[in-house]
Amino acid sequence: MEKLSRIILVLVAILVLAMTLPMLYWMAFEQPVSKPFVLYSCLDDDFFIMRQGKPNTFEDTRGNKYTREKYEQKLPMMNFQQLMISGLMPDTIRGKAMDMHEIGLNRSFARFKPEDMNGPKPALFPLFESQSGRANIGMPDDFFRITWRVEFLDAATNKIREEKSQLFSAALYHNGFAFPATRIEGLPTTRKSCDEGYLIVDSSNQLFHLKMVKDKPYVRKISLPEGLRFKHIQCVDFKDKKYYAYLFSEKNEIFILTQDEYELVKLPITAFNAESCDLKIYGDLFNYNVTIDHEDHTDVVILDKDYKRVKSYQEGWPLISEHTEGKIFGYIFPAQLSLEDPNSKYINFYWKGSGGIGWVLLNLILVGVHLVILRRRNASLQGHAVDLAFVAVTGIYGFIAINLFQNKFFD
Amino acid sequence: MWKSIIYKEWLKIRFFLIGFTILGMMGIAYLFLKVQHEFTFSGGGNFWYNILFMGMQFFGYFKFIPLSGGLLIAVVQYFPETIDQRIKLTFHLPLKENNVLLMMHSFGAGCLLLSYLLLMVVFISLSAIYFPSEMVYDSIVSVIPWFMAGFVAYFFVALIVMEPSWLYRIMYSLVGGFFVTIYVKSPVIAAYGPAIPGLSLLTILMSVALLFSAYRFRKGEM
Amino acid sequence: MSNVIECNDLTHYYGKKMVFENLNFQVRDGSILGLLGKNGAGKTTTINILNGFLHPRSGECLIYGENSQHLTPATKARIGFLIEGHIQYAFMNIHQVEKFYSGFYSNWKPAPFWDLMAKLKVTPTQKISTMSCGQRSQVALGLILAQNADLLILDDFSMGLDPGYRRLFIDYLREYAKSENKTIFTTSHIIQDMERLIDDVLIMDYNRVLAQCPINEFMTGFKRFDFELENDEVNLKNEKFVANLEMVKNKVELYSYETKEFVQQFLDNHGVAYKGFKQVKMELEDAFIGLTGKY
Repeated sequence: MEKLSRIILVLVAILVLAMTLPMLYWMAFEQPVSKPFVLYSCLDDDFFIMRQGKPNTFEDTRGNKYTREKYEQKLPMMNFQQLMISGLMPDTIRGKAMDMHEIGLNRSFARFKPEDMNGPKPALFPLFESQSGRANIGMPDDFFRITWRVEFLDAATNKIREEKSQLFSAALYHNGFAFPATRIEGLPTTRKSCDEGYLIVDSSNQLFHLKMVKDKPYVRKISLPEGLRFKHIQCVDFKDKKYYAYLFSEKNEIFILTQDEYELVKLPITAFNAESCDLKIYGDLFNYNVTIDHEDHTDVVILDKDYKRVKSYQEGWPLISEHTEGKIFGYIFPAQLSLEDPNSKYINFYWKGSGGIGWVLLNLILVGVHLVILRRRNASLQGHAVDLAFVAVTGIYGFIAINLFQNKFFD
Repeated sequence: MWKSIIYKEWLKIRFFLIGFTILGMMGIAYLFLKVQHEFTFSGGGNFWYNILFMGMQFFGYFKFIPLSGGLLIAVVQYFPETIDQRIKLTFHLPLKENNVLLMMHSFGAGCLLLSYLLLMVVFISLSAIYFPSEMVYDSIVSVIPWFMAGFVAYFFVALIVMEPSWLYRIMYSLVGGFFVTIYVKSPVIAAYGPAIPGLSLLTILMSVALLFSAYRFRKGEM
Repeated sequence: MSNVIECNDLTHYYGKKMVFENLNFQVRDGSILGLLGKNGAGKTTTINILNGFLHPRSGECLIYGENSQHLTPATKARIGFLIEGHIQYAFMNIHQVEKFYSGFYSNWKPAPFWDLMAKLKVTPTQKISTMSCGQRSQVALGLILAQNADLLILDDFSMGLDPGYRRLFIDYLREYAKSENKTIFTTSHIIQDMERLIDDVLIMDYNRVLAQCPINEFMTGFKRFDFELENDEVNLKNEKFVANLEMVKNKVELYSYETKEFVQQFLDNHGVAYKGFKQVKMELEDAFIGLTGKY
């Protein structure tokens, strides 16, 4: 029993060390990875890259350097306000007269991070009045959930509003909704230009659009291709009102859902993985600039306004494990443990290998050192087999832990 | 014999346990007094909205209450045993040494559990007045690791108090101090969901750690 | 007569500092053994090994035939243990502490405990922590008596006691042990009154046993002779028959197990001139100091 209690202590110490030592190591030695910021110029039909540093540098894909001012001029859609002030904005681009209002209307920006998807989700949502006739959207005093039916809960009393619940339940039911909902996505905020309600996936993987129009339910079932399942839906509120949302399928395809026609358009993008990639989509008068950041490279895809692929660019950078400090890390630590993960909002035990197997050498050396220590103490190998196994597997963590809480038992 | 052990442990912790439970309940009551006040002034809808979408944890300051309870009970239960090495009396009782310790430990942890359950019941009952089941559930998932932190603190303090060597006490404190923090990170509400099984297992394992320092005491380590 | 305690070849070190090496002693059933020694002579170390609170470097102690490192609950029930300083659960009052211990021992006899408690001027709800040293000693003793153990191990029971309490404690204990045939192993660094209690004496000095025998044998066998030397440069210290020798100028205190005649004969035979030779009667304390030296 005492031996078990010590093993538990050693185990806990290993966990703690596997969290703290790598953390301290990185804090001391980690160098920043500079990722390129890549934008497409509608003037040159080429990519322009900003690299962070002291100072920032600007170049095109052929390696030509630009000043900040020149760089901004190459990207008039991104920098039109600055160019307007400086009087450097062209009058026409691609034969199109430049109109401030039109440029602004066509500008959009959406950003997705894996942690937007991997995290606890609320189960209750406010259903806004879509046509209140007021300039501002008002926060309702009830919130709905969709379990075996739709239920509106009055926040002031924490009681179900029966009449409203029945009204909305019936509307969903008559549109073939299979209760309960498995996914409810929308923009639950009053800070948006107008309300478009929620996109809801039911338990038969059908997609619905629900909003409240003049206190009445508006329900639309959206036809989907056979077998399409979504892992994430990100609703948007853009001024051009072209689409409701970006939808990511289980197969990591990206769709948009067009407004009013409810047409599902698949974007010609293949290099995306919602579990691990950051996604940024800039829309402007001529193009969509889709940036997908992987761990070690970025993919930039340019689409035209019909969502057809125009051009693409890829640039990589060394992984942290390929840096000097990363390589040394790999020789010291077998793995690192963290309770947090950049791709998730959940707390969990996230183990991450250190890349490579350089640490095996150190593990063997430490086993050897411990054998020498044991011989000096005239200790039996049998009594220390578990300790040696700890060192062999967990390396430096185990070595410190077993010597912190020494294996000293009588008899 | 077990009754006598329980009797002794109860004599040591009773006032502190009851006091802690009452203070904890008062803390929870204050929490919901504030909720009620907010409901009156800003409206329930706003309050719900802030919890659901703005990451507000209305029970946030509750975080360290279970932890302090664990610390308190461990100190009042084990500290008197170490003054003048009184634990020798306990070890001399006609029982197996480890069994006595496990009994003491189970009783202390059991009392703590009972106190925590009472606090939870009060917390859940009051929550259920103001919030729907989903939000209550998310709150429970959020506070459970805090209660586990209370047990971990209890187990570690017992381990530290029983340890005869100062060097080891410092080691335990370092490991324990960091270990507790993994239960009380400040994430979004209900983020601990996937980690709860692992954390529970670690908490349960830690419950027998005390035997190591007690063994070292019995063998005359210094 | 069988032995209740047998310690064989006990050796212990604290780090590199030796406490004792190859210590052997036995305690006979029904006897009262006093382990006497100066502070730091290893008394508490011995007690700790006996109670399983210290693992000796080598050797073993057997109590009722069981290794003291792994006493079974049944054997522990037969041993009453008084911790140095009469330590008890100070957060309890006398009723609580009696209730607590009574649950453990099948032949618990509360009468002696309450007899002793009746003599104390304590209130029923008074915690042990608020009692005087003497009162606490009575509580600790009372509990051991009530436990009705076969073997009593008393670690420095005299510490902090008034002479009155010490005398009370000793008389009560001796009377009890002899009438109920109990075995007692006790240590003390206060030697006064110990004669009244113990049957056998074990005197330890740093790293060694100086004497182990029945107390009567020790008291009659170990003698003190005082005399004055004509020549104070004569050195008797290393003679075999001399157990200890204290000398101030030419005044000699010589301690020996030999007879008066033997010593005088020796001095005469070796031509040592002396005067005023006399044997001095000793109490145990004098004998103890005589044997262990003043320093």
